[in-house]
Amino acid sequence: MKSYEDLNGLELDTIREMGSIGMGNAATALSSMLGCEVRIDLPEVRIMGYNEAIDWIGGPEVITAGVLVHMSGELNGIMLSVQQMEFVNLVLERMIGQTVENYEELTELDSSALVEVGNIMISTFINALCNLADISTRLTVPAFGVDMQGAILAVPMAEFGGQSDYIMTIGANFICGGREVPSRLLLSPDIRSLNFLLKKLGVLDG
Amino acid sequence: MDNKLVVGIADMKMARQNGMLITYALGSCIGICLYDPKIQLAALVHIMLPLNMETGRKTPLKYADTGITETLRQMEAKGGARSRIVAKIAGGAKMFEVAGGGSLGNIGQRNIESTHMILRREGIRLLREDVGGAVARTLLFDAATGQACVRSYGKPELIF
Repeated sequence: MKSYEDLNGLELDTIREMGSIGMGNAATALSSMLGCEVRIDLPEVRIMGYNEAIDWIGGPEVITAGVLVHMSGELNGIMLSVQQMEFVNLVLERMIGQTVENYEELTELDSSALVEVGNIMISTFINALCNLADISTRLTVPAFGVDMQGAILAVPMAEFGGQSDYIMTIGANFICGGREVPSRLLLSPDIRSLNFLLKKLGVLDG
Repeated sequence: MDNKLVVGIADMKMARQNGMLITYALGSCIGICLYDPKIQLAALVHIMLPLNMETGRKTPLKYADTGITETLRQMEAKGGARSRIVAKIAGGAKMFEVAGGGSLGNIGQRNIESTHMILRREGIRLLREDVGGAVARTLLFDAATGQACVRSYGKPELIF
């Protein structure tokens, strides 16, 4: 059983490619929800240590919203959509017609729009991945939380923390109506699923 | 930023006589402050999971059991005495209410239980705690006084 630190160049490239395809699909789904063209720039899939991932997202204490989905079946794990303020306001402006200054101002309607967008992005991402690898998985209903980024990120990390010291981060900039907005996803399959996925994609070495 | 020592995830730092230890954004993780008041030796460890079941045990500080015993060992090496060392802890929250749940259940709650059990087993007195709930906590620990401080999103600071 290979963990993240054991992956070779081809296996890592495959994971990166898969992440980029997933993110591209997520952007298309977002585009139809927001009713405007969403282009994607600089997709980047990385495998990082916990503390490095928290720096990458912009520091531990910044407040953010997170949409979290568990998957189970041939692919087990967690996927998290981190919705920082710029992203929140892009969604709210297009879907609700107004923006917020901070997370305390979010109404119930705002929150449910954010959950829905996060859920659709995650489902589309996972769907693309399952089609590529010809596997199937089930997703739970999404959970929503607003708090410090470090604690939100620690949820997928802790779930499989006993198996790995690393986590997969998927970042990209969404370009929509002349604005460039960062989007951040975390995919955390358990190690068995990671190996199964690579095997199904025909690149697992040994 | 007056010489604060930052403790990351699965990390531990010590300070003696003066200096402030800090660990950010504890969610389900737990920050454990250990203090020997006689020699003003303070240690803060940030653990993520309740029990170490790794075969190689490469990252002892990631787990409550090996994290606490390793920290106590290093404190004793610096002259700390187990009979004097006391503890304060914070964290162990549940950040998301997941319908259907994860396979591992509530990690925060299990971290709290494990930390209590290990402290009891090691004979360390738990003075104060701020645990559970659904809120992230940043924990500060002052080596001069042994005082701890918790700050959370949308709540007043708690000194204990």
